[in-house]
Amino acid sequence: MVARARYYDGKVALAREVTVRPASHELVIVDAADSSVVARWPASELIVLGDTGHEKAPPVARRGEEGRLVIDDAGLRRQLAGTMPPLAALGRPRPAALPRIALFGATLAAAVGLFWLAVDVGSGYVAPYVPYELQRRLGESVAEDLAGDQPLCQGRAGLAAINGLASRLARAADYPHPVNVRIVKGGPVNAFTLPGGILVFYSDLIDLTRDGNELAGVLAHEMGHVAHYHAIKGLARQFGIEQLLKAMTGGFSDLGTVGAGGSLLLALRNGRGFERDADATAVELLEKLGLRADGVSRFFERMLEKQPVDMASVIGIWSSHPPTAERVAATRRPATGASAFSDAQWKALRSVCGSTEPIPPARPGAKPSAPLPPTNRL
Amino acid sequence: MSDITPWGERAPAPQPRPTPLDLTPSRPVYDGKLGELYGIYLRHLTLMVLTLGWSRFWGRTRLRRYLWNHVSVLGDRFEYRGRGIELLVGFVLVLAVLGIWAGLMWLVWEVGFEAHAIPGFGFMNLFYLSIVFIGIPLAFVGQYAGLRYKLSRTRWRGIRCGMAGSAWAYGGLATLLNMANAVTGRLLTPLVSVSLARPRISHAFFGTQRFDFAGSAGDIYGRYLGYYFLNVFVWILAIGLAVAAVIAGGMQLGFTAEEVEKLVTAPSLRTGLLLIAALVVLYIVFGLMILPLRCWWQAYLLRYLVARTRAGNVLFASAISTRQMWGFMVLNYLIVVLTLGLGWPWVMHRTLRLIARELWIYGAPQGAAIGQPPQRGPRFGEGLLDMFDVTGF
Repeated sequence: MVARARYYDGKVALAREVTVRPASHELVIVDAADSSVVARWPASELIVLGDTGHEKAPPVARRGEEGRLVIDDAGLRRQLAGTMPPLAALGRPRPAALPRIALFGATLAAAVGLFWLAVDVGSGYVAPYVPYELQRRLGESVAEDLAGDQPLCQGRAGLAAINGLASRLARAADYPHPVNVRIVKGGPVNAFTLPGGILVFYSDLIDLTRDGNELAGVLAHEMGHVAHYHAIKGLARQFGIEQLLKAMTGGFSDLGTVGAGGSLLLALRNGRGFERDADATAVELLEKLGLRADGVSRFFERMLEKQPVDMASVIGIWSSHPPTAERVAATRRPATGASAFSDAQWKALRSVCGSTEPIPPARPGAKPSAPLPPTNRL
Repeated sequence: MSDITPWGERAPAPQPRPTPLDLTPSRPVYDGKLGELYGIYLRHLTLMVLTLGWSRFWGRTRLRRYLWNHVSVLGDRFEYRGRGIELLVGFVLVLAVLGIWAGLMWLVWEVGFEAHAIPGFGFMNLFYLSIVFIGIPLAFVGQYAGLRYKLSRTRWRGIRCGMAGSAWAYGGLATLLNMANAVTGRLLTPLVSVSLARPRISHAFFGTQRFDFAGSAGDIYGRYLGYYFLNVFVWILAIGLAVAAVIAGGMQLGFTAEEVEKLVTAPSLRTGLLLIAALVVLYIVFGLMILPLRCWWQAYLLRYLVARTRAGNVLFASAISTRQMWGFMVLNYLIVVLTLGLGWPWVMHRTLRLIARELWIYGAPQGAAIGQPPQRGPRFGEGLLDMFDVTGF
């Protein structure tokens, strides 16, 4: 049997047309033109560089030498592989493209799905075990980022009232760490939860509420976020999505932009799920303490009055919150039960911003590289 | 006929006629199949997800092996013999260097900043700032080092390629030139392009055969200035058209001055979204007018750089057109971005087919005179390149 091939001696850049004569103990390479023997490679020293899956014509070499024998004809490669065991790799058929694409495409989809599931479920399990001190420090630094330049309200009785209710709600939710409510003077009408049980309320929100039960509703909603560790979960999920995107895009910097859009959408979807959970827990906690639970839905109605066009339902998947009307319907409860705040407490809360003082700057160096996603605002 | 010239000098003996140079044209041949490339790529992506990205060194190596071995010049295929572990080691080394850098920055922080702290400026801020500062030069260093690594793992006719010169010198030069170009309103672009192409081409070698580059910025400055001012003109035209369209459109719809004022002073989310949509449309319109110009220049530059490159007696030329450059720069970009990266093999396939169609090689190397290069090339892979994510493949 004679196989035609190209031989490079590894010393100069010349290609030689050769024929190959396989024998039991050696491969004889013979010049195609004048039949002179070019090289004799012992069978035990033959190696195939690469494989037929990647190389179109995997080069054959003698171990430790730079010479190469390249056989472009697949049929001849197969024959050679059949005769000489060390060259068996030359004969492997090239994997068919379509089944491979189907196999790896399906595996990839499954791997991405599994990864996402692991992040989605895993973050829920892991979040409570993140050391509390770490959560609190993270929360403090974000608080400074988000509301650091606005003064904090100092009304002692008001702060005691809202922190007292927050602690009762935390106990009802079996939240094992202390919670800390601060009130920032000014707007917007909002409240948010940070890692480490830190709740920030804006005084404009307190001004908008008609009675203590509405404020209690908002506080219970925020405690829902605290009890579910939503802030830490959100961070963990975002980190997970980033890792997945990095792996999927294989390091195209431009893809970062598009990927960021995708991960933002996922974060917002998370946001809507978190809000529904927090709404449900809010009503549950208030009812568990025997308090009036109608404040939650009444406050949402107040928001709707203030802004009749609900942005959440207009922008749909781009919203971090579910449509307000849906939230009203889900949280509507009868006006039964005890009031959350006494008249004196409510009065103190209304005037909690009588005296103010700026937030002391957080320790330098504790700043996170990226701000928290706004998942846990009101 | 006398041997003496009219000036009384002896005429030179007639020289033997030089053998005519072999300038037979040929083109590289690419015979890869998109389906096969996708099979390899999807396997790579699957492993990437399962190993959280750590398999990328091996995946990249496999892709290169496929691409290299499916390109042949003068009937001889390229061979890529890099190994994933080499890329991994290069990456880990760079991580270690960054660790040392972080330690250094920590010392700077302790000595320089701790005493008189700036509120809101922490150690990590200092570290990131320093990374941004050294990142640009390092990316250039990485580009050069990456090219060196890839060439050193590339063989043709059994002979290794390689790259001489200092990656650090290239990094410094590239940083300086790009900075100078930025502060002169990009008027130095031809100088930058030619000065950065020169080390990359003339330091490359195939075996003992060096490449030569005979370009000079002066050759292409005229064309560049034409492109530059045409570009400025088109921008002004596009902006003028856009402003006119907005004003005319506004009047047509009967907007009053107060309404416009209200729109600007109290924008709602809806107007914000509309505005963003309008900006995207404008961006695309601008792109349609300005990108072809850009492609025209890039195609010209590439043709110039290729034509001024030589390897011994082998000459090169390219006839790449503006339209093909559009396909290369714009279409390829859109494919990768719109498919979230899944279109990458398609782009690679398109690129190699373009090279096979538009790169002309005149003559053949004098193989007997080209030996194996004395140096072996770097032991580890493109760590820096990997770090700063500027690698194509």
